[in-house]
Amino acid sequence: MGEIDHRNVLAKMLDRRFARRGLLRGAGLGAAALAVPAFGPQPVRAAEPGHINLAFIEYIDTLDPHFTGFLGAIMVHNNIFNGLLKITYDGQKVSFVPDLAESWDMPDDKTHIFKIRPNVHFHDGTACDAEAIKWSLERVASGKPTSPHAWKLSKLQKIEIIDPLTVKLSFATPYAFLPVALTGSTGRAGTIVSRAAVEKYGKDFGRNPVGTGPFRFVSWRENDSIELERNPDYFEEGLPKLDRVTIKIMNEASSAVAALMAGQVDGMNESPLQFVKALRANPNLTVYGEPEGNYSFVAMNVRRAPFDDVELRRAVAFAIDREAIIKQAFFGIGEIAYSPISPPMTGFFNKDIAKTGRGQFFDPERAKKHRAAAKNQDVIEPVFIMSEQGPYGTRVAQTVLPMLEKIGIKPKLELMERAAWVARRNAGDFDMFDLNWVGDLDPDETLYPEFHSGEDWNYPGWSNATFDKSVEEAQVVLDVETRRKLYETAEDALMDEAPIAIISHMPAFKIISKRVQGFQYIPADLFNLHTVSVA
Amino acid sequence: MLLFVGRKLAQTIFILLMVSIVSFTLLKLAPGDPVQMALGSEYSQEAYASLTHEMGLDQSLVVQYGHWLWGFITGDWGRSYVGRTPIFQYAFVEALPVTLTLAASALFLAILIGVPLGVLSAARQDTILDAGTAALSLTGTAFPSFYLGILLIWIFGVHFGLFPTMGFVAPWQDFLDGVYHMTLPALTLSTYFMAMIVRLVRANLIEALQQPYVAAARARGESERRVIWLHGMRNVLMPLVTVLGLQLGALLQGAVLTETVFSLPGVGQMITNAVLNREYLVVQAGVMMTGCLFIFVNLLVDLAYPWLDPRLKPR
Repeated sequence: MGEIDHRNVLAKMLDRRFARRGLLRGAGLGAAALAVPAFGPQPVRAAEPGHINLAFIEYIDTLDPHFTGFLGAIMVHNNIFNGLLKITYDGQKVSFVPDLAESWDMPDDKTHIFKIRPNVHFHDGTACDAEAIKWSLERVASGKPTSPHAWKLSKLQKIEIIDPLTVKLSFATPYAFLPVALTGSTGRAGTIVSRAAVEKYGKDFGRNPVGTGPFRFVSWRENDSIELERNPDYFEEGLPKLDRVTIKIMNEASSAVAALMAGQVDGMNESPLQFVKALRANPNLTVYGEPEGNYSFVAMNVRRAPFDDVELRRAVAFAIDREAIIKQAFFGIGEIAYSPISPPMTGFFNKDIAKTGRGQFFDPERAKKHRAAAKNQDVIEPVFIMSEQGPYGTRVAQTVLPMLEKIGIKPKLELMERAAWVARRNAGDFDMFDLNWVGDLDPDETLYPEFHSGEDWNYPGWSNATFDKSVEEAQVVLDVETRRKLYETAEDALMDEAPIAIISHMPAFKIISKRVQGFQYIPADLFNLHTVSVA
Repeated sequence: MLLFVGRKLAQTIFILLMVSIVSFTLLKLAPGDPVQMALGSEYSQEAYASLTHEMGLDQSLVVQYGHWLWGFITGDWGRSYVGRTPIFQYAFVEALPVTLTLAASALFLAILIGVPLGVLSAARQDTILDAGTAALSLTGTAFPSFYLGILLIWIFGVHFGLFPTMGFVAPWQDFLDGVYHMTLPALTLSTYFMAMIVRLVRANLIEALQQPYVAAARARGESERRVIWLHGMRNVLMPLVTVLGLQLGALLQGAVLTETVFSLPGVGQMITNAVLNREYLVVQAGVMMTGCLFIFVNLLVDLAYPWLDPRLKPR
């Protein structure tokens, strides 16, 4: 005794964290999750080659995974590249399993040893070995130009090559977030790219991506389409099943919906909320969408009047009728959020949070009480910047407006196009804005970069010592229960001081034609085509 | 003639230079920049600074403009900042033919239907037919093209499944499939112009038919068909060609919406997305191309006048 089985601790944590609410109670299953073969349930049918046409309505910026900022692009990357780890979903729980890694060991809580699959090659024929893994991770951690994902590997001290197929990663502290960072998909930091290709194409690698994934890149015609073709040397036996993938880039969602309903495309990677009902009613389509790791919110600028007053922020937090927003702005889609930690983060998400009195919720009486305690008792006219965004449009701002008027706050709505909005937000030139943070798999990425003092995404400019201390500690603790308590403390501080008024957790949709078989839905905003075939 | 073309050319170059400066400055004045857009939700100050430097966006505006201008003239249009797409290929080889095909088909359709309708309602002035055409053309002018596009998609694409709702097939590669794919977009874009042509032809033809030489032609016993098409229409062509040349801007503007609704990878979508993502170099390429196109078409119109009306022939 006395010896801690770190790997088991981590495994347990991962497993419990990503299990869906209430579905998994047992301990020790985590190790089993790590031990399952590389891919989940295999469909019992013969490989069926074919060609799939998909409509992607989410913006694709670059096919260089180390430099992307968009989930739409990652959905493509995940079919071209692999990570050391990957995310799978068996319909009940999300788990991390080795991808390019064959095994994963933790001799102590700061050291991770990965054995790499033998005989894996990039699409350009170069070998994907320990050397390649080391180079890729270093490109993210310390390469020039700086990757926006560098922070995910900032605690990485060194990478050693033990033998041609074994790498040892040493960290400065235990790092609870590592598994997310090392997945080939939403982690981005752990996606492995071909060194030879990066050196050959330089800045243009994002236009000529070379990975180890099930599909090879063929072409990318701007505003038109991205073509992928089958990688015959893919390391997973019998995969992929498709010969060709055409991703139609569509800027207008209603056109994509029409094309899908007319049978001209076989799938769509997201849908504006107003179309979901019609898509679900269509007998030829399957709509996937469960609440994911995200939250929508209204942010307030803590750095300047009027929202430098915590009482006023609390008044806003209690004045917002979440149920009405979901009904009016989200067409009944989404679930009320009381805190940023999302339903799929099971070890941390409290499904009974509504009964605990913790977090933020609609309470007009308390809103009035806090409003009465605010410094400024006049009618306040804060600037609310808004922009068309994804599936939500500008509807949050519009529905929140009358709710705030009831407590003597009359926001001035300023509608602007995205670039202007981003510039204003990043410069802190606003009183309020609405947004949703998406694609999170761990409470760390849901809380730390967004609300820790001085972090880049902390646009409200909030700072709180209790919060900072809790999230810092939670990063270096592997035990779930200790972590959960730390995040609870952090959340309570955050929700109480209300730099944001939280609204809801939203599903992300994937819509697929019934012609398509073998699609494996993963509630991490992924569109993996590995096992997909078309009848 | 040579002097005329030479003077036009000098004017053109000057205008294009001015246009390029204005569009460059305006876009730079707009808040936001490509790096902020590219980083999306993964923004970090360090990555921002590093990428800004990498893309050469930390240089002075004059240097950036000069660099672009020199590249543009020497045929190196550069690459987009984030997607790293070669701009010449994207703008000139891929996007421009799509928009030209769309605009030409729409114009063709508009003339094909608009002119006969206009003639018909002028010839049958103040009948039910005339009133019907007037109602139709007024509706056509007033109907927003993006809405019409969506309606056509849902009726002919989704409900009846008769036409494709998206995508571009080059008619010079597969003529029938190209026309098939272009039908709904061209119809969508053409309604406005069709309606405009109907009203223009009708008004001008009625006026022409009241001229003494028409009365003379009728008195000579020429057939009504000959009177209308020869004596009447000849005088309608001038204003028609002028207006069509001037309306090219509206045509390209309409193409933006049509391209978006039908997912056609044309210049309209290219410029819109480039503006939204602050891809300065792509916008410049688009503005220059449409500028040249506009000037070129109006040059053609100028050159066509003497041919349409011999009285304007330089002596």
